[in-house]
Amino acid sequence: MEDRELIQLANTGDPDAFEALYYRYRDWIYRLAWRFTGNQQDALDVLQETFVYLLGKFPGFELTASMTTFLYPAVKHISTAIRAKRGRFTSDNGVLDELTAPTLEGQTDRNRSELATALTILPGEQREILLMRFVDDMSLQEIAAALNTPIGTVKSRLHRALHTLRYDRRTRDYFLE
Amino acid sequence: MTERMEQFDEDLDPGEYSKLSADLRALFKTLRSVPPEVDRAVYDRIHRHFAGVKSSQGKYRRFRWAALWKVAAAAAVVIFAFSLDLTKRSERVTQRPALAEIQAADIDLNGRVDILDAFTLARQIEKTGHVESRWDMNGDGLVDRRDVDTVALAAVRLDKGVL
Repeated sequence: MEDRELIQLANTGDPDAFEALYYRYRDWIYRLAWRFTGNQQDALDVLQETFVYLLGKFPGFELTASMTTFLYPAVKHISTAIRAKRGRFTSDNGVLDELTAPTLEGQTDRNRSELATALTILPGEQREILLMRFVDDMSLQEIAAALNTPIGTVKSRLHRALHTLRYDRRTRDYFLE
Repeated sequence: MTERMEQFDEDLDPGEYSKLSADLRALFKTLRSVPPEVDRAVYDRIHRHFAGVKSSQGKYRRFRWAALWKVAAAAAVVIFAFSLDLTKRSERVTQRPALAEIQAADIDLNGRVDILDAFTLARQIEKTGHVESRWDMNGDGLVDRRDVDTVALAAVRLDKGVL
């Protein structure tokens, strides 16, 4: 069932329809929240807060774009609020620092670590768009709408991010056929 | 080996960068899944919310019906009162002096009934306190302010020109 159909049902007071939306976007939100907060417990809190926020929109919720476009700014805002409240990371560089550290098993995955290090050299707005496109699987239009940014700006930031990674010795292999 | 070039006029397909895309996804993959307690907490919250919505919708429906009944009753009262008022108005219209009756209202005998006749009659009543009984326009046996009103009413009638 499409998101819009589920939303329509939830607007009529069907909790199962909302539950279906929860299970559809739960992991996406959780992953995104973890990226923003760098902390599993905070990410779980963001997940719950985001669904409480979404729940408050029912009945009467109208989806004008895709769900990810609607949810992305909400998750980002809630994550920032929770992070500020708890005095944790001031930027998502913290997540990348954590990723570049050795894994729990005491081994460092070289590729993983180098990719994470390469990402830290990207300006925040370029990295954000790169991750939205490649990790969150959002289209350029969805990214532009979620960030309230012109699509031309989104394209140019993505282009610059890829350009930087292409000429970085740690990531240039990704761009060779 | 050749370098891959991006084409930014159209949306970029992450599939073309499958290795980069896969590694980025792996990099940001959460280590643990969402614990069942969180699912249960959200589940409870969802059901509480929708139960509340249904309850408030029921209250709203009951309130709406009560409000509708009140509005309907008020409308009925207003319509009834309005119809009574209309009846009174139509009575008042019929009480207005007929043309034949007010021909005598030409007090100054200039051939037409106008506001000056009302002024003349009023002045006459005020000055002497006694005027001819033929100026008893409303036929109540007295020549007073009410007769002045009758003359004034005749003067401002739209069809006064026929006099």
